Amino acid sequence: MISQLRQAGTLIGLVLIVVFFTVQLPETFLTARNLINVSQQISMLAVVAFAMTVVMVMTDFDLSVGSMASLAGIVAAVLFTADQPVWLAVVAALAVGVLGGVVNGVLVAVLGILPFVATLGTLTIYSGAAFWISDGKTIFGRDIPKGFSEFARGGVSLDAVGFAGVSLPYMTILALVVLAVVWVTLEHTTYGRRLYAIGGNAEAARLAGVRVRWLRLSAFAITGLGAAVAGLMYASRVASANPTQGAGLMLDAIAAVFLGMTMGKEGEPRALATLVGVLILGILDNGLTQMKVDSYVREMLVGTIVIAAVATSSIGRRA
Amino acid sequence: MAEPLEFSAMTKRYGAATVLSDVSLRLSPGRVHALMGENGAGKSTLIKLLAGVVPADSMLVRQGARTLPLRSAADAHAAGFRVIHQELNIVPQLSVAENILLGQPIPQRFGLLVHWAELARRARAALAELGVSHMDVRRQAGGLGTGDRMLVKIAAALVQDAGQTACLYVLDEPTAALNGAEAEKLFAVIGRLKQQGAAILYVSHRMAEVMDICDDVTVLRNGRHILTTEIAQTSRDQIIHAMTGRDVADAYPPRRTPLGDAVVCAAEGVSTARLTGLTFTLRQGEILGVAGLAGAGQGDVLSLFLGSVRPTAGKAVLSGGVLPTSPAQAWARGVAHVPQERRSEGLMMRMGVRANALLPHLTGVIARKGPERRRVADLSAAVNLKAAGPEQSLWQLSGGNQQKVMFARAMAGQPKLLLLGEPTRGIDVGARFEIYKLIRALADGGCGVLLSSTDLPELLGLCDRILVLQAGRQATILSPDGMAPADLLGALQAAPLALETT
Repeated sequence: MISQLRQAGTLIGLVLIVVFFTVQLPETFLTARNLINVSQQISMLAVVAFAMTVVMVMTDFDLSVGSMASLAGIVAAVLFTADQPVWLAVVAALAVGVLGGVVNGVLVAVLGILPFVATLGTLTIYSGAAFWISDGKTIFGRDIPKGFSEFARGGVSLDAVGFAGVSLPYMTILALVVLAVVWVTLEHTTYGRRLYAIGGNAEAARLAGVRVRWLRLSAFAITGLGAAVAGLMYASRVASANPTQGAGLMLDAIAAVFLGMTMGKEGEPRALATLVGVLILGILDNGLTQMKVDSYVREMLVGTIVIAAVATSSIGRRA
Repeated sequence: MAEPLEFSAMTKRYGAATVLSDVSLRLSPGRVHALMGENGAGKSTLIKLLAGVVPADSMLVRQGARTLPLRSAADAHAAGFRVIHQELNIVPQLSVAENILLGQPIPQRFGLLVHWAELARRARAALAELGVSHMDVRRQAGGLGTGDRMLVKIAAALVQDAGQTACLYVLDEPTAALNGAEAEKLFAVIGRLKQQGAAILYVSHRMAEVMDICDDVTVLRNGRHILTTEIAQTSRDQIIHAMTGRDVADAYPPRRTPLGDAVVCAAEGVSTARLTGLTFTLRQGEILGVAGLAGAGQGDVLSLFLGSVRPTAGKAVLSGGVLPTSPAQAWARGVAHVPQERRSEGLMMRMGVRANALLPHLTGVIARKGPERRRVADLSAAVNLKAAGPEQSLWQLSGGNQQKVMFARAMAGQPKLLLLGEPTRGIDVGARFEIYKLIRALADGGCGVLLSSTDLPELLGLCDRILVLQAGRQATILSPDGMAPADLLGALQAAPLALETT
């Protein structure tokens, strides 16, 4: 009973946050337009956080997702300036993401370097590469083709279901697709079950016939791919690419997964729980901005909430 | 000499469950008192009450005419009680000397620097009191073997006594992770503590050592006091009967089907990094024991067929083919494995029964919960698992039930070769017999079994033949017929030459 309440605590927190902003911002918060807006704002963070969940299931980390997102955006933009077609630039950026993830995977799974150290190193390398390729400049304006930047502005009209003039952004749809893929992979495939087993006890999993190396490596590749997807979404949204634009994603993504882990029966990460974490961070950001709370205060508040959630969930666990 | 300690009316309830009910215990100075019972009998709770770490619902402690208060760990310490818990919590980064003197004022030079020489001297003095001189107190404690860690913890308990004498030592399963030689050292230390006039409460599952080193025994069952007697006045069978409420006639279930002809696995002159001269064949349905003192190379025999250790010389086959090169391959080819270190090598403690039991047997891309749950329900029934359901987390199960989950995992694939490492370590008598039945049932079904164990009666009771390793060399293969545990121990220890001349 207590454990169920504790598991539900974070979800209750989300509801309270929504209620709070609905009361404080009666005109603007709980409107279809604002909620659609929130969903678009958080879509990039959501994609990175879902991808991060895949490695955190194995109790690993990937600190390089932010700079990988930047690098992917830069790679696409550089190809745009060289007049390459959109599809080629997108494929190349995604390939870079997978490759970067494989490098992380080799460092962690094959060479046995601690994920924290390995991905801290590649964080710096990918960030340096982004600066190097772009010459440290922001790529924008006519270099970015319309076909690419319009993706972030477009959406599916919701007229038919009674929301006149509102459309569901492609960005939101893409994040939901990534969520569905990650959820199915983690919860309903033998691959996901093996990842959880590795997180439970890697040595026991190996002796029970799980190919731990290969799975860890591939999971890092998936996370790299997710980071690249988010980087492209970001570049499309601001119709430009900058070697630092993904930098903020990493800490928020880890925070979202941690928030979600408070809902796990044994404190394990779950895809849908990560979604709750992302929603908490995204709605706080949106609501506090509307209430004109200073952004520095906002950061302090978000940090406090993450710590409070994890602290309350660990109280009483295993008691 | 101090007067006896008398504990009476010890009762402890957790919610509606009474885990200890009106238990009395009398501990005399200079005597070793065994406390026995199955898992869940209330031994750990009783120890926690003695240590003052859990408040009793009722308890009276008297020493002679004095009544001792016992409401906190500080009370227990002031009364002269020293509890050495099962988990050996040493600080691996610190030196042996620092671990021994942990919590004591650190000797200093100039009121500023650590006086290392003085620290080492005091630590050596504490070890010398135990008759231990082989340990370098300046080395890091993380490199110590389990036996030496135990000695460090006991020395630390002795150091705390500067100025006051301990009247009671509580040792909780001290030999669970010790090899024969280490255990002997510990017994010598216990003898010394006895001479100094301390009472010793000794908790162990190992019947043989209880019979050897203890003077008295108290048996608990389901939180109740069942029996207290002098060891000299009782027998192994009487104690087991008191613990389980059953007789032990069928401790080792006999073979019901004859050995098959087909060879499950074989080795000829095989060497690994830690082992040479491994030569044997294992037939269908045969249980081959692998015996040796700690570090004799038993682990490699199992690892070879699990594909986690590669041979450096010789020829080995598994069901007619080459050896597997990874555990994944081994499981796929019908090898099942129950590892020696259940917690670190076997189980995912924070995951459920289903995830643990089926891990090696996941196939295809999509994992389907419904069929998996049904399969786990069948397996749980087959191993007589007591769990709340297929999703109950492993850390909530008793050690015996955790091991049954390991057997459920092994049985799920209908194995041709079963590799067992210490299958009953730390498991109480009742669950132990159930595990013997499972092993026998698998063998009767035609599965070949390699059973590595340091429990000699178990080897003699279950195995068709016993392969003896001495310091990384295969010495011989024995038939257990008519052998006593002492004979087998002799074979493990004998130098190879001596063995040939006898």
